[in-house]
Amino acid sequence: MELTVRFGDFTAVDRLSFAVERGEIFGFLGANGAGKTTAIRTLCGLLRPTHGSARVAGLGYEDGGRALKGRVGYMSQRFTLYDDLTVDENMSFAAGLRKLSPEVLARRTEELFEFIGLTAPRNTLVRHLAGGIKQELALAAAILHDPEILFLDEPTSGVSPVARIRFWKLIRNLTEKGKTVIVTTHYMDEAEQCGRIALMRSGRLIALDSPAELKERTFPEPLLELDAQGRDPDDFLNTLRRNPGVIDVQPYGSRHHVTVRSSSEEAVLSSVPAGMSLRRIPPSLEDVFLRLVEGKDR
Amino acid sequence: MISFKFSRARSIALKEIRHILRDPFTVALALGLPFILVIFFGYAIDFDMKDIRLTCVDFDQSRASRQLTEIFSESGYFKIGFPERPDLFLQELDQEKTAGVLIVKPDFGKTLSSPGQTAKVQLLLDGADNSKTSAILSYLPGIQRAAAARLTGLKRQEPVKLRTRFLFNPELNSRWFVVPGLATVLIGLISILLTALTVAREWENGSMELLLSTPVRPLEIIVGKILPYVALGLGGVLFVYLAARIGFRVPFHGSHALFIAACLMFIMAGLSQGLLISVVTRQQQLAMQLSMISGLLPSLLLSGFIFPIESMPVFFHYFTAILPPRWFMVIARGIFLKGAGIGELIGPLAALLVMDIVLMTAATKRFKKDLEP
Repeated sequence: MELTVRFGDFTAVDRLSFAVERGEIFGFLGANGAGKTTAIRTLCGLLRPTHGSARVAGLGYEDGGRALKGRVGYMSQRFTLYDDLTVDENMSFAAGLRKLSPEVLARRTEELFEFIGLTAPRNTLVRHLAGGIKQELALAAAILHDPEILFLDEPTSGVSPVARIRFWKLIRNLTEKGKTVIVTTHYMDEAEQCGRIALMRSGRLIALDSPAELKERTFPEPLLELDAQGRDPDDFLNTLRRNPGVIDVQPYGSRHHVTVRSSSEEAVLSSVPAGMSLRRIPPSLEDVFLRLVEGKDR
Repeated sequence: MISFKFSRARSIALKEIRHILRDPFTVALALGLPFILVIFFGYAIDFDMKDIRLTCVDFDQSRASRQLTEIFSESGYFKIGFPERPDLFLQELDQEKTAGVLIVKPDFGKTLSSPGQTAKVQLLLDGADNSKTSAILSYLPGIQRAAAARLTGLKRQEPVKLRTRFLFNPELNSRWFVVPGLATVLIGLISILLTALTVAREWENGSMELLLSTPVRPLEIIVGKILPYVALGLGGVLFVYLAARIGFRVPFHGSHALFIAACLMFIMAGLSQGLLISVVTRQQQLAMQLSMISGLLPSLLLSGFIFPIESMPVFFHYFTAILPPRWFMVIARGIFLKGAGIGELIGPLAALLVMDIVLMTAATKRFKKDLEP
């Protein structure tokens, strides 16, 4: 623990410490360059920590991470499968790298193709598959050797919303079977589905909790949403910003999210100009993200 | 390496073979290139000069002058033409309708028959075409001797006579010289370019990371990736060998075992060079350009394949010494034509071995440094 990874002078991951439970979906959330990918790559043995240590499935980096690599599965954000090989060829290549016997390969592909509901013929070239199916197949290749822990680095970037929902159903199924999944994502709706979320900024862990707890802790005060309904909200926003009862005003799409002190909630709500709407809303993870990750930079 | 698992290397090799078979570019390069090179250098390019066109401007029009032109054309090297307008002969040279102009003066026959006098003939050559001109020059002494004997009827006794016999290639057939050298060009290109491309591709599309997230070892990756290209390179050599022996009837005087061993050494050097390029560039495009510059150009131009190294500036004598193709060229021609054995080729073989070791060490060191976390 206290994991630190440096590239030259640049500290990509800075004293990161956390523990993940078996069967958990553990999410990394953070802006680009926050160190999510570096953290994941280190944990699956692709990089070695500059300082500190980690135990993954009870294993460390003593043997060059080789034993560790045997117990985890990894799906990178850039590459999934070889486009010019068929479904079967990709699977048998993955099996060859893991030294799985032909019997195990046959049994596991049977199981996994059923698990992901693959309908395409097995001799289809991967380049002819749709993005979502490719992603599911890549998942199957990553868990072919039945790893205890699965690392997914932005597994759903670039696939359709429907395919994303399907993919996350697979992830939940895996954790129900006792597998542990550690995933990075940009999508807030995906982050909502994680058991716990590690929020990262500049290589540091700045918050670690379940989505509900994160919202509760970040927004103990009421959160209001202002919808100017086409009118110019600037005057009102300035009044709000000067109000000592208002903690924070954040633009949110075409609307604004206003955090107020509980004691001022009534007063602020009644001060809204005619034609605009201001109402209390439950905070979303995106609010949390904006407040914690981007808010502190300013 | 004790824990090297051949089964993993074999999986990678199998995948690589599938990549090769599915990629038209690689298939075309591996199969088409040897064919094109053999056709191109074996048939189309002929370094021997035959039927060189000469224009004869005969102001003498005597029996002697006609005999002279016959001697030129009977030699087989020249084809004599006569201009329609003798006063415009220089134009023919300008327009490259002819390689040279032979001018016979009006008093040629007369001078020839008067004792004690030397009959002179002028030959104007196109100095702009260097290689053709030097070929013509090399044929002239023979013609001169023949003309002197036939026109004067005298067998002049030469005080010193130089008799030249060409060993190993008695007819100085340039194909014998060129075709075995093609093996060098082929291996040089296939092994360097294809290896550089295949490894750079894994870096470029990020699949190297996927490979490394499994317990596979760097050495297993290297061996698996290059084995299919060793086979391709040897296939290219076999093709050149068959083309040389059957197509061009080039003799093979040396030991086949030594030839194969030398081929493997040269392939090894090329693969290491390709690996080094791919590790350094990590991009297919850049890797391709670098392989062309450091692979194809030296094997074509600096190996002695076309231009003899002896006639290059001194700098290149030393510079080419660090290029594997130069040494393999010596070995290939030596084994084919001279039947040279290890004893004669110890120098080039040792040079190749040293380069193998240097390149391989550099490539695997760099590769492992990049791969190991």
